[in-house]
Amino acid sequence: MSTYTIPVGPLHVALEEPMYFQVQVEGETIVGLEITAGHVHRGLEYLAMKRNIYQNLTLLERLCSLCSNNHPFTYCMALEKIAGIKIPERAEYLRVIADEIKRIASNLFNIAMLAHIIGFDSLFMHVMEVREIVQDTKETIYGNRMDLAANCIGGVKYDLSDEKIKYLIKQLDKLKKPLEEIIDIYMNNKFVRARTEGVGILPKDEALRYGVVGPVARGSGVNNDVRVKSPYAAYDRLKVNVPLETGCDVRARAIVRLREIQEAINIIQQCLKDLPDGPTCIDYLPEIPAGEAVAKSEAPRGELIYYLRTNGSDIPERIKWRVPTYMNWEALKVMMPGNKVADIPLIINSIDPCISCTER
Amino acid sequence: MASFLKIALRNLFKGPTTDPYPFGETFVPKGLRGKAKYNAAACIACRMCEYVCAGGAIQIREVADKSGLEFILWHNTCTFCGLCEYYCPTKAIRLTEDYHTAHRQEDKYRYVEKGFIKYVNCAECGTPMVPISPELLQRAYRQVNREIERLRHLCPKCRQKRALR
Repeated sequence: MSTYTIPVGPLHVALEEPMYFQVQVEGETIVGLEITAGHVHRGLEYLAMKRNIYQNLTLLERLCSLCSNNHPFTYCMALEKIAGIKIPERAEYLRVIADEIKRIASNLFNIAMLAHIIGFDSLFMHVMEVREIVQDTKETIYGNRMDLAANCIGGVKYDLSDEKIKYLIKQLDKLKKPLEEIIDIYMNNKFVRARTEGVGILPKDEALRYGVVGPVARGSGVNNDVRVKSPYAAYDRLKVNVPLETGCDVRARAIVRLREIQEAINIIQQCLKDLPDGPTCIDYLPEIPAGEAVAKSEAPRGELIYYLRTNGSDIPERIKWRVPTYMNWEALKVMMPGNKVADIPLIINSIDPCISCTER
Repeated sequence: MASFLKIALRNLFKGPTTDPYPFGETFVPKGLRGKAKYNAAACIACRMCEYVCAGGAIQIREVADKSGLEFILWHNTCTFCGLCEYYCPTKAIRLTEDYHTAHRQEDKYRYVEKGFIKYVNCAECGTPMVPISPELLQRAYRQVNREIERLRHLCPKCRQKRALR
């Protein structure tokens, strides 16, 4: 059988983002893969170094849409580390709540995309409809469906009144039953199983070798959840159960994401129960001395690392971030070979790629 | 498969979940971050909003005849992040729940929120200055007595003199 190289992309393969792959196939079977990056470079690192620390809160939130809360969150943690700011305890809990709400919406989106790719569009519609519960919650509590604008230097910009807490609890309860139904479908529906089981295998040793992060790692049985391994914000006071799967395939990663939604609901409920009183932000405008810091957090796609260097002025001297997709897309070289051409979008979607963060 | 059929049927009987916008009303929660509204009477021209605005949508500059300061916010450049509102000490700038931003192409550069802060003259020396808004006094003193009320009409230099006397 002869070998061909087929181009996939740069127009969207799974999500509406430009990715370019050159896939070597032998008949219908994939034998090799080349990734060409850089189609959506926007010069954001440079832009961030031209703006002051406050403007960057807004700029960094627009780095990515689905994990938009994690960027300003991690950036704030890096700044606070440099300036030695201790944020109020209530703010730590509120940051966790914002983060977990975003995680629910992000994971539901990826799960819906999976259904769309395997041609199960009625399931796609249903999951997106369930996701609207979360979108409405975000709009009501934060004022926007995607960009929460929850973080500011030294705390958070929003507060939860008793009324809003009640609303949030109600919305989370509303989510639970449809979520269980969805999990049942993804685990047991024979069409979903036929397309996802045994596809895009990433064995545990390869997962460790490539250093994959987030649900991709946890789908291969590797637990490197930052929330547990090096807790930040209020995570050291919360009980976080990390769902692990050993299937190593597309299905295992999808189930990890679904279980994480359940866990996120659980974490928000814990936060609302323990939510301490007090201020939500420091009451002065901090001065940021010269220094450097590294901060990390667990974004919906995995570990997000920020490096920040300041020089005493209000404009960062260097700001750099390593996003989860950067680690995960290399592992596609292991997941792809041996699978069929029709599974390419499905496997790409299973790492939940975020190209706009990765190529900024 | 049967389990999903049940859900699909349920959704079918539930009817559409989308809103009939723009022909009908749509979901607008209280606290939605929409178009910003500016109140010149409360503004103290500290320029914090101009400083924190990531898009550079806000400008405060002196008008040509030097009679006051003009505030301009370009709605088309605004990202509705709400930093200006958050850092405004007197809440002179607020995000409204109005999210309607459709306008004609010819109005592109006129689609702005504007305000004018007219300078007042110092009661003692007559130097033009930005008026001190009641919102700022409220924030600084909580209870404003007659002495503070008098200081309010003085420029910073005269205020210093009065305080040292």
